[in-house]
Amino acid sequence: MNKTLFKQTSKSNWIIGVIIFTVMMMYLSIIISMFDPENMEGIMAMLETMPQELMAAMGLTELGVTLTSFVVSYYYGFLVIMFPMIYSIIVANRLIAAHVERGSMAYLLATPNSRLEIVITQALFLILSITVLFLFVFLAGIIFSEILFPGHLEIGSFLLVNLITLLLFYAVSGISFFFSCLFNTTRKSLAFGAGVPVAFFVLDMLSNVRDQYSWIGNFSLFSLSDPLRIVEGDAVISISIVVPLLIALMTYTAGIIIFNRKDLPI
Amino acid sequence: MSIIQVENVTKIYKSGKGIFDISFSVDQGEVFGYLGPNGAGKTTTIRQLMGFTNVDQGRCLIRGMDTRLQAEEIQKFVGYIPGEIAFFNNMTGKQFLDFISQMRKQAKSRTAELVTRFELDVKPKISKMSKGMKQKVALTAAFMHDPEIYILDEPTSGLDPLMQKTFIELILEEKKRGKTILMSSHSFEEVERTSDRAGVIREGRLVALEDVNSLKAAQRKAFIVTVVSSGEVELLQNSNLEISRITGNQVEIIISSNYDEFIRVLTKCSVKGLDVLNQNLEQAFMKYYGREAEKNE
Repeated sequence: MNKTLFKQTSKSNWIIGVIIFTVMMMYLSIIISMFDPENMEGIMAMLETMPQELMAAMGLTELGVTLTSFVVSYYYGFLVIMFPMIYSIIVANRLIAAHVERGSMAYLLATPNSRLEIVITQALFLILSITVLFLFVFLAGIIFSEILFPGHLEIGSFLLVNLITLLLFYAVSGISFFFSCLFNTTRKSLAFGAGVPVAFFVLDMLSNVRDQYSWIGNFSLFSLSDPLRIVEGDAVISISIVVPLLIALMTYTAGIIIFNRKDLPI
Repeated sequence: MSIIQVENVTKIYKSGKGIFDISFSVDQGEVFGYLGPNGAGKTTTIRQLMGFTNVDQGRCLIRGMDTRLQAEEIQKFVGYIPGEIAFFNNMTGKQFLDFISQMRKQAKSRTAELVTRFELDVKPKISKMSKGMKQKVALTAAFMHDPEIYILDEPTSGLDPLMQKTFIELILEEKKRGKTILMSSHSFEEVERTSDRAGVIREGRLVALEDVNSLKAAQRKAFIVTVVSSGEVELLQNSNLEISRITGNQVEIIISSNYDEFIRVLTKCSVKGLDVLNQNLEQAFMKYYGREAEKNE
């Protein structure tokens, strides 16, 4: 890894991370404050006034009754997928394809650093920054809960949900990173780097709408983990760990190898 | 001793364009001009030398090392200017130069000297700089680590004439210090003033590889002579000079090496005006660019 490049990459991308994190915090604080241990029926009644298909698509058909399952079902079914996905797509595209398209990659490669070192540094930035994002979300969740409802959050299962979602995002960012390495224009890199994760996202939402559509979920990466089941302890966790890890490993490795070998129009 | 070796390199893009079986070498301490109009394949060749692309056939070596496989090692002693100006977003000139120095783990630096020499203001953001200013940043980045070998892709594009002169002086100094330089250009004048030898590329093929003096003999220059009467126009027409166009009393004459004859004929007329016509590379080297020059007419 090249420290100078890592620093430079952090400098030009941290603001995107901060914006995404701020928006996520806004929603998280609202959702935690909505929890009312005495009056869950009230919240249920409010949700029932919303269009049922929309709520189902967002994975809100069954809301937990404890703070942990409430936050997890409300927040981790939809919002925690959408915002880090936006981050992955934007940043992955900027890390490689944008440098190639603009030509600034020529300056990086005109220094005595191998292509391999440069592409690995960019990959590590993406992986580490997503890890930091989830670490902050996890810590913020604990802090908000402890302030508003001390002692209600089950930290162990909350950690597990965060870890499994993080693994999922190693896979999602890997997909975007792969296309960023594969294509020389940001137009193509974004079309696929955003298109594939968004398609998975839409399939996941569709599969939640009605039981008869649930088979669609088999085609979506996001259906691999069911946060509420994890909290309740009856999900098959090994699949939600192994499959995303494998996809992440494959996509990042393939992206790195392709970039190391391909012709660069710079 | 050959420092840069291009051996039978072929690289064809999907569009069918590319370079075909190009071979040349640049010796230690030599300045090599790589001449050709836009789109002829100059940048394609330079990309090979920088290790940005894979050859279809042949190989490129710098100091005996493969430019694609050992790029990292080679970049320790190479200074490079890309053909297209492209930098990092949101960096000032100084931030960019510092960043590149750090990427090179560069100990010595003559950045300050170059910045003064090019009258470069490094404080503004690069995105706010003029084209000429950006090119000066690129020049400084290529020269600041005092490399042994320079690979320069159209280094003077965007520079005003005064800065072009400064640049040429710098090249001549580096040459005196024994540096090896490969410089692409579409201007023969620039190559003529700096280079020892030159390669001329046309549609991806090397059509000439000669020392600059013999290229100069092949160069054609156009002069516009304004005479007083139509009788004198006829006199010029009847001489052995090659005439490309006549408008009223203005006669366009093409000269390659027959300056003597040109002057002799002119003394017989009363000349009211004499101008040199700016020509592009294809027109100056009709010998190599026959077809394209006609297309441009």
